[in-house]
Amino acid sequence: MSSVELRKVDKHYAGYHALKAIDLEIEKGEFVVMVGPSGCGKSTLLKTIAGLETINSGQVMINGRDVTEEEPGDRGIAMVFQSYALYPHMTVAENMGFGLRMANRPKAEIDAAVKRAAQILRLEEQLDKRPKQLSGGQRQRVAIGRAITRSPEVFLFDEPLSNLDAALRTQMRVELSSLHGQLGSTMIYVTHDQVEAMTMADRIVVLNKGRIEQVGSPLELYANPANIFVAGFLGAPRMNFIEAKVVSADASGVSVAAAGLPAITLGDIDASGVSAGDAVTVGIRPEALHLVERTESGTPAFSGQVRLVEQLGHETVLYVDASPLQATNSDSGTGNFTLQLNKVSAIGVGAKLQVGFETGDAYLFGPDGRTLTPRKPVAST
Amino acid sequence: MYPRPIPENAKVQRALYLGGVTLVVILWLLPLLAVMLTSIRSNEELMAGNYWGWPQKFSLIENYKAVFEQTAMLRFFLNSLLITIPSVIGVLILSTLTGFVLSRYPFRGSNLIFALFVGGNFLPAQIMMIPVRDLMVRLGLYDTIYALVIFHIAFQTGFATLFMRNFIAALPGELFQAARAEGASPFQTLRHVVVPLVRPALAALAILVFTFVWNDYFWAIVLTQSDAVKPVTAGLNNLRGEWTSAWNIVSAATIFVALPPVVMFFMMQKHFVAGLTMGAVKG
Repeated sequence: MSSVELRKVDKHYAGYHALKAIDLEIEKGEFVVMVGPSGCGKSTLLKTIAGLETINSGQVMINGRDVTEEEPGDRGIAMVFQSYALYPHMTVAENMGFGLRMANRPKAEIDAAVKRAAQILRLEEQLDKRPKQLSGGQRQRVAIGRAITRSPEVFLFDEPLSNLDAALRTQMRVELSSLHGQLGSTMIYVTHDQVEAMTMADRIVVLNKGRIEQVGSPLELYANPANIFVAGFLGAPRMNFIEAKVVSADASGVSVAAAGLPAITLGDIDASGVSAGDAVTVGIRPEALHLVERTESGTPAFSGQVRLVEQLGHETVLYVDASPLQATNSDSGTGNFTLQLNKVSAIGVGAKLQVGFETGDAYLFGPDGRTLTPRKPVAST
Repeated sequence: MYPRPIPENAKVQRALYLGGVTLVVILWLLPLLAVMLTSIRSNEELMAGNYWGWPQKFSLIENYKAVFEQTAMLRFFLNSLLITIPSVIGVLILSTLTGFVLSRYPFRGSNLIFALFVGGNFLPAQIMMIPVRDLMVRLGLYDTIYALVIFHIAFQTGFATLFMRNFIAALPGELFQAARAEGASPFQTLRHVVVPLVRPALAALAILVFTFVWNDYFWAIVLTQSDAVKPVTAGLNNLRGEWTSAWNIVSAATIFVALPPVVMFFMMQKHFVAGLTMGAVKG
């Protein structure tokens, strides 16, 4: 039995279609991350599961029970908010026991639940303090503790780490993952940060404009994005896209060309979807681009000049101007290509170099944005 | 921008400014000073025309004793408390309820209701003098304490609702969502989350309403007649009739009457805690 099931969930605001017939099944104990750009509907979707937002049509099931008409408090969920939403006039212990107190549970039970949660989150020393005496990370842990004490069937997290600074965010990410392992509860986590999505999720749900673009394991989505949106959203630095034209499409493969890039042939593609002259997009991840000595015939390559170098220690990111060849949707936003080298590189700004890639690493997206290239193997974990 | 600070080195302007401020403050406090001074003077001295000079004889104790022994001020004072305290409590309860609903539970027509509450404040209440008096007569409440309590609660709740609604609306929305997600009913949310957080607003409102109701004279004389129900404001007027020449006693009674709002202010002051919602949400 699935832990959370959404059936054709539809949500309209005045003149705005926020959620479009969302279907989703989440297994018991799964850690599901919903990710997407701002305004994609991910927070709205989380709130419909919580019951804080009503839906116009469809059904929300939790543990096989239809909870569409139920109040949030009756659904067996607990939510952690981006702003923590702690009650400032209560101590940490009172905050964490609030839900149980509202349900008129015996004091001994509340105390035990608060103590257990405080132990898990290492908050024993802070129980008598007020939220304003705590640091950001501690406050977020109290908010999580408040969720734990109610022992919910489903935890809902609404961008819980986005108010923390970078170092704390990494630490909390690890803590949340281990908390999930410890509790084994179903967790649904909303973020716009694709690093959080990649590192924490059992499955990622990519949302865009109120629709689910793709659902799958992080590495599956990374290796086999269903469309250009998912390909561009997951991965940092982002994938390089080249707008190209189909030269020929037949049983041997699809041949594409762009200004500044000689025709390349991508094999194993079902050519029925495209025909010569179609506008398509070639995608290539920054780590799949590499430096070549000289242009060899057969492997695609282009020449360019380095505009910017980012040294990260273990890797180097190069932004390369390859005009007339333009990368669209790139991180730099200037039409430069992004290259990621897994080492320190002595290449400086202004250096001229040759960039190549394997045709097997390239993705081809059709005129409608769908991925045309065949499945790539997912790196085994 | 106004008010612009006067530069340190503009000595003349500074002196003029200081002189002006002092003058205004003295003018402002003069009536109060006169009442205070008169309240400790003997009647003979007043008859002799010593209004502003240093009192030759201090009759502080005698005058204030006279207020309690020779006048019905204690009765009026009690009436005022019986009118004011229930009015304040009633207004606070009703406006917290209306403010909570109007700020957090929008329903069809809620904006219209809110507009009525706000708009009602713009009407001068005095135009209702005759209807309100008639209503109270027909209800059999005329010349009772209830008439004033009901009237003040009804007429103060409009402004108080505006005040509370805006204050509650300014609380972080996620607090309410969190409470709801944790299974708190609207009433539990009101009691355990809203009321503790709007304490400063309630204290401020309590002072405002208390002062207004306590100082009300107009409705006191419109809705009451007998000494048994008259509040202090109307009672003071009685005093003037009976003791036309005893201004020292009237002044002493006036000071006595003016004390409760001051006491109220100091009682409520500790609830004005700045940054009460700090720590609820980031930023």
